[in-house]
Amino acid sequence: MKKKIIGIMLFLGLMVIPSFLNASDVAKENLNQDYKSKSVSELFVSLYESTGINAMINPVEGLISHGIPVSTFNQGAGKVVMMAICFVLIYLAIAKGFEPLLLIPIAFGGFLANIPVADIAGPEGFLGILFNMGISSGLFPLMIFMGVGAMTDFGPLLANPKTALLGGAAQLGIFGTIVGAAILTEYTGFINFSLKDACAIGIIGGADGPTSIFVATRLAPDLLGAIAVAAYSYMALVPIIQPPIMKALTTKEERLIKMEQLREVSKLEKIIFPITVMILCILILPDATPLIGALAFGNLARESGVVKRLSDTMENALINIVTIFLGLSVGSKLAAEKFLVPETLGIIVLGLIAFSMGTAGGILMAKVMNKFSKHKVNPLIGSAGVSAVPMAARVSNKEGMKEDPTNMLLMHAMGPNVAGVIGSAVVAGVLLSIFK
Amino acid sequence: MEVNLIVESLKFLVLGMSTVFMFLVLMVVVLELQAKIILKYFPPKEVSVYNSTQELSQKDNFTVVAAIAASIQSYKKKSKQ
Repeated sequence: MKKKIIGIMLFLGLMVIPSFLNASDVAKENLNQDYKSKSVSELFVSLYESTGINAMINPVEGLISHGIPVSTFNQGAGKVVMMAICFVLIYLAIAKGFEPLLLIPIAFGGFLANIPVADIAGPEGFLGILFNMGISSGLFPLMIFMGVGAMTDFGPLLANPKTALLGGAAQLGIFGTIVGAAILTEYTGFINFSLKDACAIGIIGGADGPTSIFVATRLAPDLLGAIAVAAYSYMALVPIIQPPIMKALTTKEERLIKMEQLREVSKLEKIIFPITVMILCILILPDATPLIGALAFGNLARESGVVKRLSDTMENALINIVTIFLGLSVGSKLAAEKFLVPETLGIIVLGLIAFSMGTAGGILMAKVMNKFSKHKVNPLIGSAGVSAVPMAARVSNKEGMKEDPTNMLLMHAMGPNVAGVIGSAVVAGVLLSIFK
Repeated sequence: MEVNLIVESLKFLVLGMSTVFMFLVLMVVVLELQAKIILKYFPPKEVSVYNSTQELSQKDNFTVVAAIAASIQSYKKKSKQ
């Protein structure tokens, strides 16, 4: 029996070997057809022609990359300029500690996207694949929102729901900026924003990176790179931009106001909260339900206390993975031909205005509330209505402590801060519903 | 007809801010109502925080003391050998 099997194996083996020999013959012939003999100097010249140096020094006239004509400037010097910008961002992240978790992936993504020849940000490059998978589809911002929901304690908001109105007032910046973008378009010749573009830019004023990306992918995909970079940069700059505005709009007496201690919030209230918000959102603004829904899911997982493994994954592993992908693929939009246009400058200026107006709106609303409400409200917590969680609340706390080191505003500021997240998601829903 | 961008954007401002405030005011009202209902029908159980933490810290102290005692003993044993 064994002998028979061995015999069959041998027979099969003999049958196969000649076919292998034939195959290698064919391969040799192919090789000879593709490859022409070259001299050593020719070999070096062709290697040089494939280098990045050549691609940057000798740009091709009229090159079209994925449907966009690329100017000779953007093939050479433009790429170098963009790489320099990316290194500035990396420097800011490492040396100054500006949102390093986001700026490093974004800046490195931008660096990769500007490499000549390799086309990493193209549809076949890995950044392009990530971009199409998560950003064009609007998936990554939602996953980030899940993580934010799983991280956020809505207790301070539940303890004093009125402070949610501050989170609403801070959204003024968004709409003020839309008006600003319209004015720029009407009165300057070189900047040209459509209404959709204006809305996508305005949302930077919400100081909410994922929401900005979510809206920009729907309304102005071309401006996504500049909008995302502006949104995240201003989020990182909260501690620098906000304090002067806060000082200018409040008096010393107002900054010294002490607020009543917050009541304790029961576990049941916290569990019901995400469901309540969902129901309101479903009734009034279904367009905002993707964002609010993801937030509510994450928060329910957290507060229910029975799915620790899931909420733990959402607030750590998942959000970290998505942040890496999101950062890199946002960075891929920092390619020279997309970024070095006059519109970018407009977006960066308008983003700053949006942000400052949002801060001012929150503070003014807090002053009004202080006048009319039974309980005193320190206007400093108004600035936390922009949704950069928890940075904005920390800034309020810090400014309060500068005047009176015993005045702890952090918990009071967290209320408007988390309401700001909900507020900007609602605004996103409104803007998306306008252009349906 | 030419659309005046500025007028349109001002309309958005009115629409957007009123929607956001409407949503948040509604949320405030619902949350306050909800808090009242929950506090009335499902009051949180009274927990004396002070005692429980004290007990906990005492327990912790005992374990720490036990650990120190054990390590001293084992060290003495070793040094005898």
